[in-house]
Amino acid sequence: MRHPIVEQTFFWVAAMLLILVVWQAAVVAFQIPAFVIPRPAAVMEMLFGNGSMILKLMWQTLKETLGGYVIGAAVGFLLAVGMSQIPLLGRLLYPALVTSQAVPIVGIAAPLVIIFGFGMTPKLIIVAWIVFFPVVVNVMDGLAQVDPDQVNLARVLGGTRLRTFLIVKLPACIGPLFSGLKIGATYAVTGAVIGEWTASSRMGLGTFLLSANAQMNTSGVYAAMLLMTLIGVGSFVLLLVIEYLATPWRHRS
Amino acid sequence: MGGGVLLRERRREDALKLTISHLTISFGTHRVLHDIGLNVAAGEFVCILGASGCGKSTLFNAVSGLLEIDSGRVLLEEEDIAGKPGRVGYMLQKDLLLPWRTALDNIVLGASLRRGANAADRARAGELASHYGLGAYLHHYPRALSGGMRQRVALMRTIVAGHEVMLLDEPFAALDSLTRFTMQRWLLEVWSEMKRTIVFVTHDIDEALVLADRIVVMLPNPGRIGRIITVDLERPREIACMASPAFMELKSQALALLYASAGASR
Repeated sequence: MRHPIVEQTFFWVAAMLLILVVWQAAVVAFQIPAFVIPRPAAVMEMLFGNGSMILKLMWQTLKETLGGYVIGAAVGFLLAVGMSQIPLLGRLLYPALVTSQAVPIVGIAAPLVIIFGFGMTPKLIIVAWIVFFPVVVNVMDGLAQVDPDQVNLARVLGGTRLRTFLIVKLPACIGPLFSGLKIGATYAVTGAVIGEWTASSRMGLGTFLLSANAQMNTSGVYAAMLLMTLIGVGSFVLLLVIEYLATPWRHRS
Repeated sequence: MGGGVLLRERRREDALKLTISHLTISFGTHRVLHDIGLNVAAGEFVCILGASGCGKSTLFNAVSGLLEIDSGRVLLEEEDIAGKPGRVGYMLQKDLLLPWRTALDNIVLGASLRRGANAADRARAGELASHYGLGAYLHHYPRALSGGMRQRVALMRTIVAGHEVMLLDEPFAALDSLTRFTMQRWLLEVWSEMKRTIVFVTHDIDEALVLADRIVVMLPNPGRIGRIITVDLERPREIACMASPAFMELKSQALALLYASAGASR
């Protein structure tokens, strides 16, 4: 008996190891010099040799990513609910939301720094800016696709508007919500790094990557890259677990 | 047999439960229902029989209050219930069980949607559902239930909602014939014990004859009542009854009406 979570974990770990193996093999086979592409082993050495500094950098970037992510996801969810419940609001805001995503994220960063300075705020806003969109779109679609007969049934049973929304409509968009959250999770780190590049007062992985690059510290560049990836993949996997726990009806009889 | 006699007596004593008069509905210029008139007595089991497209579901949507009517009246005892959902029970064709609620939570859905289901609601619903053979399934999610079991849960949800009049729209149409037969027995048992008034849509003549006190034959274009056949077969109607001359006689009457209309519309 293999538990689905155990099985999933196996494939995730296998995929990660495969990437490392291909990487190491390619560097050795093509005799690529270490300042162009370092071997994974050298990157690991870099990571574990500077453990406490690396952890500090990672913590900073993680804070920005998670903080912005939670804000973005919450705003996205509330917007979707508001826009689907008040059609006028939805029709008014939808074009604005789409436009917001057409603005290049690097373009937003500069004005945000001018407005909010070099602190945490602009970074949180940039991450939230990226994350909220897939959440809004998916949750709105989910709410729009609730079976009308299901809503009719609720009316026949004498349901109040609020209770019908909470009991019948909201749970129906859990699937789409998690789809949006997962897409957002992989983009969120990019937002944090761009934030650090434009407005860095404290060192995070993004700022470290820039300075390592300037110093020809290729192992450092790859180490930063690897940890950013780890944050993205980690939050994605965490969401898979939360989704699994939040939807017992999908796997329990 | 005793149950049947009892029901007929009750029907004589009680007043009309549901009165539909001069009900007309059009979608744009297309008239879907024309001048429907039907009286249903308390405790009666009425089947509405007709080919698909004759407006049976539209009629139910109107009586349940989901659909605005153009003209006519729908009375529940004395009260005009046209355009007022929540006064009569209505089980739509699909079981519409919420996948994220267990069978028991689906059964108490009515209370949950009105004011929140409490422990007493659950206990009462659980007891009733257990009495009708659902006890082992109460804490399962719908995904794990067979088609017949899902329909039972959906029907139990309709009953527990507490309306005296229940509209059932082809609830067994999607089931295989053996399961459907079991479900018909089960429904009759529930109906005779719970003393509800049932209006049941079907396009299956045998089903209508097994279940109904009266069969309303509907004709299409526009949807209207062709004739009302009284089914004076003894209850409970055992399998042997389905091969009896009286059953065959009623069946040929109904068939003649339905096929005459099918021929005429061609």
